Amino acid sequence: MSSSSAAARRLLLLRHRHGHLLPKRHFSSSSAADGLDDGGRVKIFDRDLKRRHRDRAAWAMRETDGLVDAVAENLLDRLEDCRKAFPSALCLGGSAGAVRRLLRGRGGIERLIMMDMSADMVKKWRESENGTGDEPEMHFVVGDEEFLPIKESSQDLIISCLGLHWTNDLPGAMIQCRLALQPDGLFLAAILGGETLKELRIACTVAQMEREGGISPRMSPLAQVRDAGNLLTRAGFTLPGVDVDQYTVKYNNALELVEHLRAMGETNALFQRNPVLKRDTALATAAIYQSMFGLEDGSIPATFQVIYMTGWREHPSQQKAKRRGSATISFSDIQKQFGPSEN
Amino acid sequence: MRRTAALLWTHGGRSIPRALADVLVCPLSKQPLRYCEATGSLVSDAAGVSFPVLDGIPSLVPKDGKLLDDQEVKSEQESSTRDSSG
Repeated sequence: MSSSSAAARRLLLLRHRHGHLLPKRHFSSSSAADGLDDGGRVKIFDRDLKRRHRDRAAWAMRETDGLVDAVAENLLDRLEDCRKAFPSALCLGGSAGAVRRLLRGRGGIERLIMMDMSADMVKKWRESENGTGDEPEMHFVVGDEEFLPIKESSQDLIISCLGLHWTNDLPGAMIQCRLALQPDGLFLAAILGGETLKELRIACTVAQMEREGGISPRMSPLAQVRDAGNLLTRAGFTLPGVDVDQYTVKYNNALELVEHLRAMGETNALFQRNPVLKRDTALATAAIYQSMFGLEDGSIPATFQVIYMTGWREHPSQQKAKRRGSATISFSDIQKQFGPSEN
Repeated sequence: MRRTAALLWTHGGRSIPRALADVLVCPLSKQPLRYCEATGSLVSDAAGVSFPVLDGIPSLVPKDGKLLDDQEVKSEQESSTRDSSG
C-alpha cells in the first residue's frame, strides 16, 4: 500500500532469502537475539512482525468470520448483563472490527475509540461503515497495547477481543488498561488459551522431528486458564470473572487452516522462530494433521480455546470481602444455629 | 463542532477531533500531547518525541515517534523536561 510497507516487505523477502544461507541452528532473525529488550525485560513476541501480520490481515480478512464473530458476540453479550451504561469506550486490536459490527447499541456506548497497531487495519475500519444508523461516534487511533496512549481515568469500558495474547507483558498491558478506566469502569477481554490449535502443535512437532530431526517453536506460548484469574487480580481489577469456551472449527485441509490464521493475523510472531519453513516439512505437517486428527468426511478439526476475562476498576460502591479477622461470630455458632442437625 | 470542521478544512483532514485529542496521551510518559500545527503532528514535550498524524489518524506507536532535536524542543517550550527518550 504505502512505500514503507513495501520496503518492509522487501526486507522480509531479503531476510527469507538470507535464511537459507544461515546455519540451521540460527533460529533468530532479529537483533534481540538474546530475547531481552533495552530494559532487560523478556521479549517473546516480535511486535513489529505482528504489526506486519496485521497489515496483511487487513486485506486478507473475510467480511465475516464465524469464529471471530462467535467470540465477539459472546464477549459483547456480557454488556447486556450490566445495568450500567458505558458512554465512552475503547476497543483494542485483534477483532475490533467484529466487535464494532456486532455491538448493535449494546452497553449504551456513545463514543467508541478503536485502536490497533496496524495503520492499514485502522484505515480499513474507518472506511467500512456498519450500515445501520445507530452507530456511536467513532474515533480511530494507531497505538500499541503495550504502550497505551490513553489518558488516565478517561474510559468507561475497554474491550479487547483476541488481541492481548500477543503482548510481551500481559500484566503490564492490563494494568495500563485499568489505569485508563474510570472508577467502576469495566474491562472485557478475550484471549486465546493454551489448548488452542493443539492438533497443529502436535502435527508440527511430529513433522519437524521426522523431516528435520529437531523442533523449533512454531507456536506461541499461550496463557492457561488457571493464569487468567491471577492476571486479573495482579492487574488490580476487582470482581474478577473468568470463563472459558472451546470452539472447534472444521477445515478441508491444514493449508486452509493456515490461510484462516493469516486472515486473522494470528500467525507465528515469536522472536525465536525459525524463519525457514521447508516445503516438505509443511506438506508433512498437513499430511500428519490429516492422518492423526482427520474426520471421516475428510475434514480436519482445529480447537480454539478462548478465555474471557472480566474485571472492574475499584469503586467504593462495589461489594467487597470483609477484612480478615473482622468477623464477630464464629462459624461453629452459625452451624449450631442454622446447620442441619444430624438426628 | 464548527471549529473542528474549520480545522479539518484548513489542514486538509490532518487535524484530529477534539473529543479524541482530549483522551490521548503520550504512550511513553503518559503526559498530555500537544498538536503542532506546523508539522501536523502530536508532540509529547515530556518525552521529547513527536508522533505523526497520518490521514487524520494519530499514530501513537512508540516506534513511529520521532525524537525531537533539543533545539527544537527548547524553541517550542522552555520548560520541557526530557526524562525518557526511547
